[in-house]
Amino acid sequence: MFEIPWNVIAMQFFFGIALGCIFVLLSSGMSIIFGLLDVVNFAHGTFAMLGAYAVFVMISLSGSFVVGLVSAVVIVGIVGMIVEFLFLKPLYGKDPLLPLLLTFGLSVAIPDLIKIIFGLIGKPVNYPEALSGTLVLGSIILPGYRLFIILFTLVALISLWLFLKRSDLGMIIRASTRDSLMVQTLGINVSRIWTFGFGLGVGLAALAGAIAAPMMSATPDMGVDMTMTAFVVTVVGGLGSLGGAIVGGLLIGLVVAFTAFVAGEYSSVSMYFCMALILLVRPRGLFGEQGRE
Amino acid sequence: MVNDNTNATKVQELHAPPKPIVVYGTIFVLLFLPLVLSTPLATEILIWAIFGMGFNLLLGYTGVLSFGHAAYFGLGAYSSGLAFRYLDASLPVGIAAGVLAPMLLACFIGALAIRKRGVYFAMISLAFAQMLYFMALSPLKHITRGEDGLTHIPTMAIFSFSLGKPLPLYYFVLVVTAIMLFATWRILQSPFGKLLQAFRENEERAKACGYNTTMVKFWSLVISAFYAGLAGSLNTVYLGYVPLTTLFWLTSGTMVMMTILGGKGTFLGPLVGVGVFLFLQNTISLITPRWELFVGAMFVAIILLFPGGIMGTLEEKLMAYRMKRASK
Repeated sequence: MFEIPWNVIAMQFFFGIALGCIFVLLSSGMSIIFGLLDVVNFAHGTFAMLGAYAVFVMISLSGSFVVGLVSAVVIVGIVGMIVEFLFLKPLYGKDPLLPLLLTFGLSVAIPDLIKIIFGLIGKPVNYPEALSGTLVLGSIILPGYRLFIILFTLVALISLWLFLKRSDLGMIIRASTRDSLMVQTLGINVSRIWTFGFGLGVGLAALAGAIAAPMMSATPDMGVDMTMTAFVVTVVGGLGSLGGAIVGGLLIGLVVAFTAFVAGEYSSVSMYFCMALILLVRPRGLFGEQGRE
Repeated sequence: MVNDNTNATKVQELHAPPKPIVVYGTIFVLLFLPLVLSTPLATEILIWAIFGMGFNLLLGYTGVLSFGHAAYFGLGAYSSGLAFRYLDASLPVGIAAGVLAPMLLACFIGALAIRKRGVYFAMISLAFAQMLYFMALSPLKHITRGEDGLTHIPTMAIFSFSLGKPLPLYYFVLVVTAIMLFATWRILQSPFGKLLQAFRENEERAKACGYNTTMVKFWSLVISAFYAGLAGSLNTVYLGYVPLTTLFWLTSGTMVMMTILGGKGTFLGPLVGVGVFLFLQNTISLITPRWELFVGAMFVAIILLFPGGIMGTLEEKLMAYRMKRASK
């Protein structure tokens, strides 16, 4: 146990951060949707799965990883907006549990649809060639693709932050998160903002699924595990908090990576233990506002 | 003023506990279920109906959505299975183990999370169920047999009367179902049952009246875990083995779908929902293995169009009809 060289630990740390980045993208989308619409999106992981399949289809059509990634996010984002418009809109103002139940129904039905279209066996997505190499820093070997995930997530989060803080639309989204009735009174069509916000959150999930696809290949049943991870990160980080999603995501990524290394059979369980611990010590989550939970 | 009064009677009648004839009549009808359906399917319906009655108590009558009821069902199934297999436990001892363990788990989860807002509790309960699932899958594999499920559970007997054949087993499960149906009816009539419904209707107001809503929700969860554990251990007796899927998230999800389909907050809703769901599942899976697509799509349609479920919608229609006749 104490004989592990430091460079192995450093590599595990690096793997953990890379995994955490996927979780961050996933749960920040969930967090935006919850903050804006008060909807817990049970189908969040299902949309991530759709993102993985979309990137598979678009890469085989266009041959370019970048085109695949961008179009996957756009396609799934649009699908998300259609879903919000058709299915979620009629439920606003009713029992707050109904949207959760509805998205749960989607998460049961959609994977079966994918199984009918693409078959039961997952579709492998190849690493883009430029990123398939490794970076060697002294005694540490870093796989290029994971490095790409980290940098890419950083860029995506900064753009998201700039979009929310600096653009007009971002300002309206933040205002609607705080008090949608007031925004409506000011003459803005909040209903459309909600549709867009759902598309944005689901698009982030698709992005998470799409960049995870080369590491774990796209399978119909990957969605539920991703939903579950997003739930755990949300509970750990605090419901509806973007900062919580980022810190929680990285933390869970590290916990999973290190338990996978130290005690492999506990790797799937570790994040739930982490969640239980947080619930005991700090029930509202690391960054949660008091009273929102 | 007149309008107010009729509304009040409407609400009162909608949420009134069922008449005794409904309880006894249901049990009488269930006596003949094996004549219509295959006996294993009928047994399965009863087991899930017990699970559903407990779940409905929590979701329908208290208004708390637990998305991790598979944890209690599966823990009940495994506890009795382990007791039967490793300790040679008799039937009552095994069932007692299968009921107590989930209740303890419910105490733990309830203490941690029952105070939370509805959607938050749903997420947390689901995460705990997944925790149990993964524990049984890999770290505890040497006891639970992981993915294969717990096999080699001996055939049970009660008063040296073997439950190996389908029909005796059905009537044994029916006796338990009848007891639980009766118990549910009594719980709903008790002051505790009235409190549950008061909280579902208006938690703030019940709080303002001086009731400790957290404690009542907590006990509702524990009682619900009793039903789920009982159903789980009966499932073990029925199957003769414990599949890992008893702890799977889709088991929780199926329970949610069955209860909503039948009508949450109605007395017979769970029984009807379970019956229709299992019948559909059996029929559709004969045609195509992709039954989840149909079930999921149907569930989405129900949420959008008939959130009251089968029994809820029927009751509403019946009320509307009676009101119309009364006003004539």
